[in-house]
Formats: sequence, structure tokens, C-alpha cells
Amino acid sequence: MTDHLFPTLAELDRDGAIAEAASRVDGHTRAAFMGKVAALVGGTAAVSSLAMPALASAASKGDVAILNYALTLEYLEAAFYKSANDKGALSGEAKKLAKVVGEHEAQHVVALKKALGSAAVKSPSFDFKGTTADQGTFLKTSMTLEDAGVKAYLGQAGAIKSKDILSAAASILSVEARHASWVANVLKVSPAPEAFQSSATMDQILAAVKGTGFIPALASASPSSATSGSPSVTG
Amino acid sequence: MSPRDDTGLTLDELDTDGALREASELAENSYTRSQALRRTGVLVGGGLAIGALPVALSIGQGGVPASDIKILNYALTLEYLEAAFYAEAVSKGALTGSLATFAQTVAGHEAQHVAALQKALGSKAVKKPTFDFKGTTADPKKFAATAMALEDTGVAAYLGQVTKIKTPAILMAAGSILPIESRHAAWIRDIQGAGSSPLPAPGGFDAGKPMSAILAAVKATGFIKS
Repeated sequence: MTDHLFPTLAELDRDGAIAEAASRVDGHTRAAFMGKVAALVGGTAAVSSLAMPALASAASKGDVAILNYALTLEYLEAAFYKSANDKGALSGEAKKLAKVVGEHEAQHVVALKKALGSAAVKSPSFDFKGTTADQGTFLKTSMTLEDAGVKAYLGQAGAIKSKDILSAAASILSVEARHASWVANVLKVSPAPEAFQSSATMDQILAAVKGTGFIPALASASPSSATSGSPSVTG
Repeated sequence: MSPRDDTGLTLDELDTDGALREASELAENSYTRSQALRRTGVLVGGGLAIGALPVALSIGQGGVPASDIKILNYALTLEYLEAAFYAEAVSKGALTGSLATFAQTVAGHEAQHVAALQKALGSKAVKKPTFDFKGTTADPKKFAATAMALEDTGVAAYLGQVTKIKTPAILMAAGSILPIESRHAAWIRDIQGAGSSPLPAPGGFDAGKPMSAILAAVKATGFIKS
């Protein structure tokens, strides 16, 4: 199983586990990785209206890492809906959902980039493997992504140190939950299957994202290039 | 401000407390608020499902600041309101189809939130008020509109307290309830508008509201009798 792991991702997972245990994240390493796998995408997202705080120079490394983690997930979501909108294969409520939710995710990207400033990771390139060109597949994938987003944000709530960032993250969390509920209802599955929302660790989310194959760099980058400049990897 | 008249506390007074508290960022009136909330309540023996909060949360061992206890009782009061609203709607039997499914499901969730918060608060928990839902539980259109207002209010209420909660375990508990309220809100909005109007997710960012604003909104409904 570990044979197939992209070494730096494995390292990220390991970092994530440590971070969960120690309630801190090695932000520099994680950000460096995310920047490495990223390809520059010139997005023209709508301007966000959130009072997302600009990061003070004193912002903790942990918070920067969490924001970049959130930004990566938002890049993924925003690109997914943009692709679906561009493909033009959706109709009815699914089409409306893709447009509205796509706008929200683009706003989240803008807000997070603004908050991070020069510390923001770049967007990776994506391959959605046809899921944006078929309505049924689009909806199922959308639900998976939104549920993952909810769990990802909730999983970081206890680790965020800045109250301003916590407030902004909670604001986004709530909207991701609305998205998850909306798409579930369109799919005719329960929009709120449980009374208490479960969360997921960074490890779990990154493994799930890798599992989708939507970020080719995670699957195809060679170990040597992936590990260069990073701390040593074992296993 | 003027000294409190310690008799005949009403929601008005709670609103005042809330406004004062928001303005001053002080939490010193928590005991008074807790007393007041308790005074407005009546004991109701509910056969509620056991809540399953994903964190071990109990203030019984002490060490929880009074401000957090106040926030938990504020949340409990809102959950009492929601739980009673849906329980009544289900018992009235006026809902059909997707609305009936929604009411049954959400009634179960809100009852679990109540049970979890009561359990966490132990002897500090405020009692359940009595309610008068003014016919909104017996008419599908009124029910849907009211449910949407209550759920959106619940979202704003929890979001408004996120940065005020001091105890990590309480933050996580609130964090596990907040997105459920968001899911409920989007669900009832989608039932109402089929994805158009109202939108299930009306904006890219949900906003929190202070305790004072929420209590004023609740008071305006007239749903809390005593």
C-alpha cells in the first residue's frame, strides 16, 4: 500500500498524524509541498465579501498551514464546479447548484488567498476524470467533495489559534454544510444523516483526495522530485 | 446600568443582558442569566433520545468558565425551542411527503442536541420553557417558513458564539452541532424553493449574530410563553 504512496504525501500524512497528536502542524513543510505540486492557474474568481482577516506577520505556522490546507481543498472544489459549468452537461437543479456553489467556492478561494497573501500555495492542476460531464456522476462527486469539506474544516476547529481565522473558518464550514445538504437532497439521499457532524483529520482528507486521482501531481510526480528539498522520508 | 429588579424576569430582561454583554464583552452576568432562564422555564419530562456528542463533554468536574456555561444554556434554550417545534409538528400530523420526512428527521436531531446539552450541563441546565407555536406546526406552509427561520437563526446563533467559547471540548461540541443546523437550513430551503428561491446556500459565507440579536428575534416570535 505504501508502495503507491507519493512519498511527499506520505510525509504529509505523517506530519498530519503528528500534528493531530501534538495539535500543531509543520506549516512550512506542508506549504512547500503544496507549492511544489501546484501549477499556476490564472483564475478570475469573484471578489469575496468575507471579512477574512489578513494574516498578521505573527500568525502561527500552524494557522498558515491550516489555511493553505483549506485553500487547496477550495481550489479543488472551485475547479470542479467551474469544469462542470464549462462542460455544459448539467440541467435543472443540478445546473443551478453547480453555478451557485461554484461561485461560493471561488469566493472561498479568494478569501483564503487574500488572508494568506504571499504565503498562499498555488493551485494544482486537476483532472476530474469525466465526473463533470455527466449529471449523475457530477452530483455524487459533488456530495463527496462537500461532505469532505465539512469534515475537513471541522477537523481543524480545535487546532486553529487565531480567533479571527476560527470565525472565518466556521463561516465557511457552515456554507459547506449547506452545500452538502443541498446536493444530497437533489440526489434524494438524507441531507442530514446524523445529529452530530463527524470530522476528519488532515491525513484522512489528504488520503481521500489522493484517492480521487483528481490531482494528477499527487499520483504521477516522481519520488525524487517530490522529495527534493523536503525532509527525509522513511518507509 | 440600573440595578436589576430581581422579580418577574422576562425575555425582555434577557435581551437587555445580552445586549449589554455583547457591548461590553463581559460575561459577568452569566449566573444571573442562568437564573433568569431557569426562572422562565418549567420542568418538562421528555423521553429524549440520548445525545451522542463526539466529545466527552461535561461541566460537572468544574473548571468551565461561567461564560461557557451561559453559552451552553443559551444553546440549550434554542434547542428546546426547535425540538418542541418539530415534535409538535410531527404530532399534529399535518405534514406530508418531504416536509413530513424533514420534520421527523430534524425532530430527532434537535432532541438529541437537547439531551446532549442537558447532559453536559448537568444540574446547571436551564429548564425547558413552555411554548406556543401559534398554529405554525399545523399548516405546511407556515411550518416550512418557520422551520427555515428557526434553522437559519440556529446557524447564526452558533456562529456568533464560536470565538467566545473558551473550553476546547465545548467548542468541538458546538462545532459538531453547527453544521447540522446548516444542513437543516439548506434542506428546508431546498424543499421550499427547489434550489431557486430561497437558495439553500444564499451566500458564500454564513454570518454569526450576537446573543442579544438572537434573543430579540426569538422573543419577537412569541413562541416562548414562559
